[in-house]
Amino acid sequence: MTQTYEVFLGCAIPSRFNYYEASMRAVAKELDVELLDFEGASCCGTVVLKSIDEPSWLAISGRNIALAEKRGHNIVTPCNGCFGSLKDCSHVLHNNDAARKATNKALSSQGLQFTGKATIRHFVEVLYDLKDEIKGKIVRPLNGLSVAFHPGCHLLRPSKVAGFDDPELPRKVDELIELTGAKSLPWGLKLRCCGSPLLIASESVASRILKEKMISAKDAGANCIVTNCPACHTQFDIQAIGMKGDKGESFELPALFVTQVLGAAMGIDVDALGLRLNRVPLDPIADILGL
Amino acid sequence: MAENWGQLKSFEGKKFEALDAEFTKEVSKLIGGQDLTACFQCAKCSAGCPVSDKVNIQVHELMRMLLFGFREVLDTDMVWLCTTCYQCQQRCPQGIEITDIIFGLKNMAFRKGITPPGYVTSRKALYDNGKLYEPTDWERDDLALPPVPHLDVAETRKVLGKTGLMRLQEGE
Repeated sequence: MTQTYEVFLGCAIPSRFNYYEASMRAVAKELDVELLDFEGASCCGTVVLKSIDEPSWLAISGRNIALAEKRGHNIVTPCNGCFGSLKDCSHVLHNNDAARKATNKALSSQGLQFTGKATIRHFVEVLYDLKDEIKGKIVRPLNGLSVAFHPGCHLLRPSKVAGFDDPELPRKVDELIELTGAKSLPWGLKLRCCGSPLLIASESVASRILKEKMISAKDAGANCIVTNCPACHTQFDIQAIGMKGDKGESFELPALFVTQVLGAAMGIDVDALGLRLNRVPLDPIADILGL
Repeated sequence: MAENWGQLKSFEGKKFEALDAEFTKEVSKLIGGQDLTACFQCAKCSAGCPVSDKVNIQVHELMRMLLFGFREVLDTDMVWLCTTCYQCQQRCPQGIEITDIIFGLKNMAFRKGITPPGYVTSRKALYDNGKLYEPTDWERDDLALPPVPHLDVAETRKVLGKTGLMRLQEGE
């Protein structure tokens, strides 16, 4: 049965990771998930705006939700940042009368109201529901792919708001990855933040966190990192480039989006999945991916 | 562990003037602040924090400063070096919404002009464009992606005009 959502792309994906969107759309098409344009979408609100001024964050995030509500649609987003921001906004507006009144006052001039009708989902939630369908579509197993899956923070925490998976032992996306024949490895710092939100405040601290993550992933024996968030991916597929340890050893690892992994195993054309656009060279896993 | 951010580098030799109960009350009223006073200093927050070993003042110390009513907390590096990962909030045995409280502290600090410059630039981008980044159209064309849906910036500016985003600091 076709599922329909307005797809909230956010700012980072159309700017830096168009191949994430391309692979998401390709996989969605295979699975009969209809993605409608999100007309009038602005920035999701983000932790950036929440850090500066919470009333402004609620109004901007609430405006996006209210737009989809007005059109009678539910929302799906492939970005942890947008997912976290929209879900968190919805959580606050559901539970805090004063904040809801103030937000709706700011929105009223545009004929918009937050009512709480729209469901907000991450694209991987939709995929998890379709696990059986995905299983039946695996035609090109990715045996030999050893994945350090990085779930990212806002997909899981705070779990009261995110409501997706166990915050201490998440397995849902790992199950999807393992449908392809790949192995999703346990690794020490799997749940640790990637450091990306600190790129705006202190690149040096962001980079130290990333180094710790890369060491942990390498120690676990991973031959790639897999993410479901463009903010996290910025760390692994841009900031990690050229990163070296004390002995000059490279900390780079091929970084894939979960939709590229699933798409490759479903036999979708590698160019449609944007698999030639990942920045850290995919050479070490090129054969596995069919590149 | 000196970092470029945060004026309060250590408690060593530092004298705090008075315990300001009003400040504690003010923080309790922030989004997530309702259970602030339940903190019993187990430091589980700091144990899971990705920047504990990278800041001068750790998150459990920040919580103590809030209970003691020290406004100097806004000068700690912990406020702006919080990655917003929510691990402290997730694991707090007292259910204190620690990360959300830190968001509120960031708001307070921003209003006083205590902020990394990147946030000032981002605020302007969000107001001017309604977005943080612009699409890379050539790459979208190469991938045959549809155009990014249109945003009328006047609409987001109007909303942000109402919330006063560009008038947060004194003299703005």
